[in-house]
Amino acid sequence: MRFIFKTRYQYDIRIFKHGGQKFWFGLLTVAVLAAPLTLDTFYLGEISLVMVYAIAGIGLMLLVGYTGLVSLGHAAFLAIGAYTHAILITYGVPFALSLIIAAVFSGLIGAIVGLPAMRMTGIYLAIATLAFAFIVEHSIGHMQDLTGGFRGMAVSRPQMFGVDLGAPVAFYFVCLFVLFACMLIAINILRSPVGRAMIGIRDSEISAQSMGIDLAKTKSLAFAISAAFTGLAGGLFAHKLGFLTPDTFTLLLSIQLLLMVVVGGLGSLHGVIFGAIFIGILPQGIAIMRDSLPPAISQIAGLEPGLFGLILVLFLIFEPLGIYGRWRKIRNFFEEFPLYRKATHKRQKSYLRTERVR
Amino acid sequence: MEILQLLISGISQGCVYGLIALGFVLIYKATEMVNFAQGDMMMIGAFTGFTYINLAGLPFVWGVLATIATMAVLGMLLERLVLRPMIGEPPFAVLMITIGLGFVFRAFAGAVWGNEPKSITSPLAGGVFRFGEVTVGYENVTVIVATALLCAALYLFFRFTRLGIAMQAASQNQLAAYYVGIPVKRIFTLVWAMSAAIAAMAGILVAPISLIDPMMGFIGIKAFAAAIVGGFGSLPGAIIGGLVVGIAEQFAGLYGPPGSGDVSAYLILLLMLFIRPEGIFSTLQRKKV
Amino acid sequence: MSDAFFVAENLNLSFGGVHAVRDVSFEVNQGDVFSIIGPNGAGKTTIFNLISRLYDVDGNGTMRFDGDDITRIAPCDVARRGIARTFQNTELFEHETVLQNLLIGRHVHRKTTFLSEMFFTPSVARQELQFRKSVEDVIDLLDLQSYRNQVIANLPYGVRKMVEVARALCIEPKLLLLDEPSSGLNPEETEDVVFWIEDINEELGATIIMVEHDMNLVTSTSNRVMAMADGGVIAIGSPAEIQNHPDVLRAYLGD
Repeated sequence: MRFIFKTRYQYDIRIFKHGGQKFWFGLLTVAVLAAPLTLDTFYLGEISLVMVYAIAGIGLMLLVGYTGLVSLGHAAFLAIGAYTHAILITYGVPFALSLIIAAVFSGLIGAIVGLPAMRMTGIYLAIATLAFAFIVEHSIGHMQDLTGGFRGMAVSRPQMFGVDLGAPVAFYFVCLFVLFACMLIAINILRSPVGRAMIGIRDSEISAQSMGIDLAKTKSLAFAISAAFTGLAGGLFAHKLGFLTPDTFTLLLSIQLLLMVVVGGLGSLHGVIFGAIFIGILPQGIAIMRDSLPPAISQIAGLEPGLFGLILVLFLIFEPLGIYGRWRKIRNFFEEFPLYRKATHKRQKSYLRTERVR
Repeated sequence: MEILQLLISGISQGCVYGLIALGFVLIYKATEMVNFAQGDMMMIGAFTGFTYINLAGLPFVWGVLATIATMAVLGMLLERLVLRPMIGEPPFAVLMITIGLGFVFRAFAGAVWGNEPKSITSPLAGGVFRFGEVTVGYENVTVIVATALLCAALYLFFRFTRLGIAMQAASQNQLAAYYVGIPVKRIFTLVWAMSAAIAAMAGILVAPISLIDPMMGFIGIKAFAAAIVGGFGSLPGAIIGGLVVGIAEQFAGLYGPPGSGDVSAYLILLLMLFIRPEGIFSTLQRKKV
Repeated sequence: MSDAFFVAENLNLSFGGVHAVRDVSFEVNQGDVFSIIGPNGAGKTTIFNLISRLYDVDGNGTMRFDGDDITRIAPCDVARRGIARTFQNTELFEHETVLQNLLIGRHVHRKTTFLSEMFFTPSVARQELQFRKSVEDVIDLLDLQSYRNQVIANLPYGVRKMVEVARALCIEPKLLLLDEPSSGLNPEETEDVVFWIEDINEELGATIIMVEHDMNLVTSTSNRVMAMADGGVIAIGSPAEIQNHPDVLRAYLGD
């Protein structure tokens, strides 16, 4: 059982709480950097996709898991980022700059969407984001001259200083670098006053206000940050897809993003990674399963979304803390062995008490 | 006269939205949960009706009753197995679970009944009333009449029966409801059964108007708009909201730029959320500290 | 127009047909411990909610604090001006640790911008350490050391009330609004409340306005008391005066 003895205030704000964390992270870094040497390009491509999802997931997690604002339409920000980036590089804007502009633009739209969030509570906000996503998809489809409308738009390969970044290994490292940077920024946000303000809003808006937190500004900021991260992911996503159409960015994709965040574990950045891996390997898993299932089931057109739905339901009932939550429980078991008690993690029985007061 | 025609279509379509919205609001009033799968429950109800009437050959009225009964049972099962563990969880988790359920329903429907559109043979189909230059199909009238009757029944139920009042109590303070002896769990089961039954009715009423297929549940999102316009905790609001959306859609479709019929529901939704999120008949106040 | 530290004039508030606060006026001088007493439903917490700007004053009542008119300011500006409050049913950040809760209380003293926080610049790190130290001082004052890293949801009620006060103190308030600090506490804990109200008032120099039912607590800490009933003021005076005031006795004991 590890006990962290802190002797300086510094220890409270460090990223790594103890040597063990540094060790495992170091190991992970080595594994991730060495992967291109050992893995086939197909797998590198899949991991790149997982990393792109993870970047989008960081954005969504900051909004949903940490600020408590639900977005059912985040695919819209992915779309905005993807299309903005794709359009900019056709006009010759350099790759890195284009990505950043796409992220910032997406963030601005996010801030605008977030402004009315002040006046809406939970469920209404979720519906508003849904409506927003439909309208974005609709608009992209109708802006034929700019976006190619429903016929679609090709995305040229990324290039920097003449190096083709579209090659599997190069793209892998690009995604890795961006993911690393985004993680660092997210961690910084969460250990600073602004991150705490967001968490305050999640847990109790009224006392957050009494502590001097400006609800409107912080919610808008949360939306903007979230949209910016997701927009950035969208830019990379555009390269991964190679060809953009509005019906890539459907409600299903928004739900998949939410699935990532929920199944991974709400309220933790580790959860984002777990969740991204989960939705990355799920299609492959389903494809493999299809071969061993009787034709009656495997031929269903809507099998993939159906399974998504089922997994979501099962996780929410049986493991609401997500994969990361389960991981923590397992780790606690080993750390506290033989003193581990199952009741530590037992959910309190809670009773419904209405928030609607006449 | 065109306007009158549009109005009638709008009202009957609006009633369909209203019926689904009614299911939403019922569940929300009683359990503070938002059931995103309400539209898909309507879809399952429609297919169940199809099975009883077209496939099994039951006479129409018996088929309708059987459908409503089956769906009520489905609602009860859903409540016991999926929703009951979620009581007290944050509203977001419940929303997600119902979204997940929606996906499962659609996959199930596609597997069992296939993806081609079907229709239910109904004695109401085909016939029309004529008032001067306005034609109204029998099925449109049925929708409107059925909705009105249902609303009246529900109003009386909540206002005057002990069960209705008990439902409202259980939704406001569950622990207190337990203390005074209200069988809270049974009430929740009943609420979901009722909601599923209403969804089934909506499904059967809508089937003659538009064909049934696994994706028809997406109408639920427009019904959501209706519920929000009317005010989420208000039963009459659900219907009024449905009428507003239904009528606006018809007029936007004809007089607005192409494609606005589709988007109009979402635009109304957003407009409402900006101006008056509590809806027309608001039941929402802030938390008292 | 009085220039006392906090002045409320003609406060009125109605909820539909219920006139919760009627024509309430009172003054608090700097350094006072001012108690508001009254039966349930008298409008005491509502006054706090008016001061915190969670509700708007009806009509043309005004509130002035330290020379400024605060009647229409935004709720998040209240803390920035140095007014902190606790809530009757603790409104803490349930999923966070005590330490996090207190650090959020330091929010009004934040000097860094979002951009610098994104990159956790040295000035942000320095501010964090400064916050951490200030928060530790409050923890020492209220003896919360052993609860520092515990999640609020796991804490007993008495400790939560302390954390609620501690969080308010992290604002370094000039005026502290305490809503029923002793409710739910046993007599021993209530005695502790007397001590720390004294500490807060004398060591930290905060003016205190307190809603309270426990008359012992009121008489041992306050220098002025306001009695309310049915939304209106019955009497304002020293604790002794109020305890013997015929109108107050009638309101509490009935005719």
